[in-house]
Amino acid sequence: MSELQTALTNTAGISSVASFWVFVIANAFKRNKQTILTAAKIIMLVGFISLTAAIIERGIEAQRFPLANLYESLLWFAWATLGAYLFFARKHDIQHLGWLSSLTATVMFLYGSWLPTNQQQITPLVPALVSYWRQIHVPPLIVSYAMFFLAGLAGLIELWFAGRLKTVVAAIITILLAATAIALGTYTSIETGWLQALFVGGSLLGMIVSWQMMPSVVERMVNQKNIQLYDDISYRCITIGFPLLTIGIITGGLWANHAWGTYWSWDPKESMALVTWLSYVAYIHLRVHRELAGEKLALIAIAGLLLTLLTYLGFNSLGFGGLHSYGRFK
Amino acid sequence: MLDSPLIPDKKTGIFAGVYLEIKKVLATFFSSPRLTVALLVLTATTVLVGAWCPQESQVGQEKVIEQFGPDTAMFLIKFGIADIFHTPWFLFLIAMLTINIIAGSLKYVFPKLRLWRKPLPWLGSKQITKLPFTTRVLLDQNADPEHCKQVLTHKLKQFHYQISWHNNQLAAEYGKLGRLAPSITHIGLLTLLAGVTITSWTGFSGFKPVAVGDSLQFSDSQHSKLWIGKLPKWSCHVNASRRENYPTGEAKQWYSNLTVLDSSGKKIKTEDISVNNPLSYDGVDIYQSSWGLGQVVLNFNDNKRVLDLQPMGRLYAAFLPLGGNSTLIFSIKDEQSPLRIFAKRPDWPTPKLIGTVRKGNTIKLGSVTLNYNNVIPITGLQYKCDPGLAITFTAFGFIISGVILAAIPHRQLWAELTVEDSSSVVINIGGHTRKAKIALTKQINDLVAILESKQPDTIGAATLALSDPMPLESQSLQINEAARV
Repeated sequence: MSELQTALTNTAGISSVASFWVFVIANAFKRNKQTILTAAKIIMLVGFISLTAAIIERGIEAQRFPLANLYESLLWFAWATLGAYLFFARKHDIQHLGWLSSLTATVMFLYGSWLPTNQQQITPLVPALVSYWRQIHVPPLIVSYAMFFLAGLAGLIELWFAGRLKTVVAAIITILLAATAIALGTYTSIETGWLQALFVGGSLLGMIVSWQMMPSVVERMVNQKNIQLYDDISYRCITIGFPLLTIGIITGGLWANHAWGTYWSWDPKESMALVTWLSYVAYIHLRVHRELAGEKLALIAIAGLLLTLLTYLGFNSLGFGGLHSYGRFK
Repeated sequence: MLDSPLIPDKKTGIFAGVYLEIKKVLATFFSSPRLTVALLVLTATTVLVGAWCPQESQVGQEKVIEQFGPDTAMFLIKFGIADIFHTPWFLFLIAMLTINIIAGSLKYVFPKLRLWRKPLPWLGSKQITKLPFTTRVLLDQNADPEHCKQVLTHKLKQFHYQISWHNNQLAAEYGKLGRLAPSITHIGLLTLLAGVTITSWTGFSGFKPVAVGDSLQFSDSQHSKLWIGKLPKWSCHVNASRRENYPTGEAKQWYSNLTVLDSSGKKIKTEDISVNNPLSYDGVDIYQSSWGLGQVVLNFNDNKRVLDLQPMGRLYAAFLPLGGNSTLIFSIKDEQSPLRIFAKRPDWPTPKLIGTVRKGNTIKLGSVTLNYNNVIPITGLQYKCDPGLAITFTAFGFIISGVILAAIPHRQLWAELTVEDSSSVVINIGGHTRKAKIALTKQINDLVAILESKQPDTIGAATLALSDPMPLESQSLQINEAARV
């Protein structure tokens, strides 16, 4: 990895951390809040531009499209998260999603920086990845994952402004349990069966508890304007992420057909992407036909976030096999 | 006797009624969005279990036993979890989803196509107040209705709406193309089902490792039980196969040179294939799927012997048992590297290297002269015949187009201007959207703001001469959420 690339990536990482803190600090001020929020967005923009340059530089250095392993996909994920937030923040006052987006990007940078150095270095591609299909198939998927992640985070904020404090706490614990399972699967040698149980069991239990907590409302926290705003942002993230996921799955099928002669082989990662897709189809049907209440849809978006996490990072770190194990490093 | 013809009619009437009632109940049940959601959740859960548990059809029963131990593995195999995508349960879910997609498309989705060409209806103030987003602007006696119409038209054009006026009633629409999304996506899904069905009934596939010099036949192809296809008579001869490496020694690409031979052995075509670059002939595609070294050819004192090689990590090895529990091990890395010869005896902790020989050379092992003649690569060929592919790809096109169109927010907006007390102007504005609700709220608020504005210069110089509307009061935007549960 060249020094320029390291410098650009580090700038992006530091900007994410800095923008997170500036977003948080902005809440402590009343008079200059808007100015501080603008500063946070500018810092985030600096990070986004640096990351864009880092990805381009990596592509030039590697002389290939820079999306071929877990580390590179994490850079793309952080890039899409920051970019999507900045896009939505142009017209909407979504400061709460700002610090969560910065935090997400920061976690992805840290996760990537703690990976073994052979993951961060530019390595030759295995024969299966030597194809123009790689740049058609993978970017829509990674960007869709980032959009679903943002949709889940917006759902979390929506629940907060709906006064569903207990639901929010249960959902945060659930997300943290899932993230812990992935972190343990990545950096330790704990038996994968236990980690799978932690992720899946924790998510199921957490979602059931969150659902059960829905009737508990703290009335003084209710803010209808923000409920509407984050409901809208969450749905818009899904309406962008869903076509991208569909394109990613279909182009993956076309690539598989081109390379292996079959467009669908029930590979674990393929199956998991289908599970995520089916879940968002259910979400859209619930939204369009059933006109389900925003708070319930917000919780479904959080469940979608967990499924996205399992599809994107869980399958490699929690010991699922299959053809898509390029991101594995153990 | 005269009345008799009425009796069967009566019966027919009862049966027809019952039949129609059953048909109605079934149609309502199978097209129900609730059923769609239930089936999607059940299918997703089933696929999730299939993703978690290694599937026998892909990795073999041994892998399931290795991962879960014999007892748990037997449970998973017995209850079909280790082959979940071929269980009656999964096939039932797919069948139900298919019926649901067809029924739902016919009942809910395709009828909306007719609406696409139909202009928006004209809504009066009473109907506008019942819309999900609605507001009321009251302007004073100096307000000119024509001026207000111009203001609304100008602003909505800025928002890229298609606008129609009928007297004092406005109907405007944005993102009309987005309305086609469900229909196109559902057409895609139905087309996909057709493509997959044709493939299942007439297609075949398979995988075979073929040594250089041998031919690929299709007699042991896999296909569904309900099959009306035909296997080809021609074969594919492997002329050569090689591996290309990166400077680091990692595999970069695998190549095979293939010749298609007809049933009489006549050459039809010769082509090189590699990963991501298959050979196509007569509707069959042959893919480079894997690569390895298959056999090593050795001469022991001029006696030719061909030994099978086994992959051992990055190396390949052949084993030749000798008398007294001793074994000769021949290890090779690739076609160019020298052959390393080890001897293994029960009393030695590890095999001992006894010699190295390059291709074409000989080495003396005691009284035996060993000649390393050749190493034969083995190429893993995947093949498939997919007659439904064109339809499947068309379906992919429809689905992608549909979901992209779904990202376009569709907004409808209505307004009516009424003159109250023969002087003041009341404007009821309302709208509807399922996506980007905040954007619609903002747009309606912008319309209210500009109608109430004392400085109408925002609508252009041509309208500056018109009288300024003086605001009296306006209701804040009301969002009718009562429909939500």
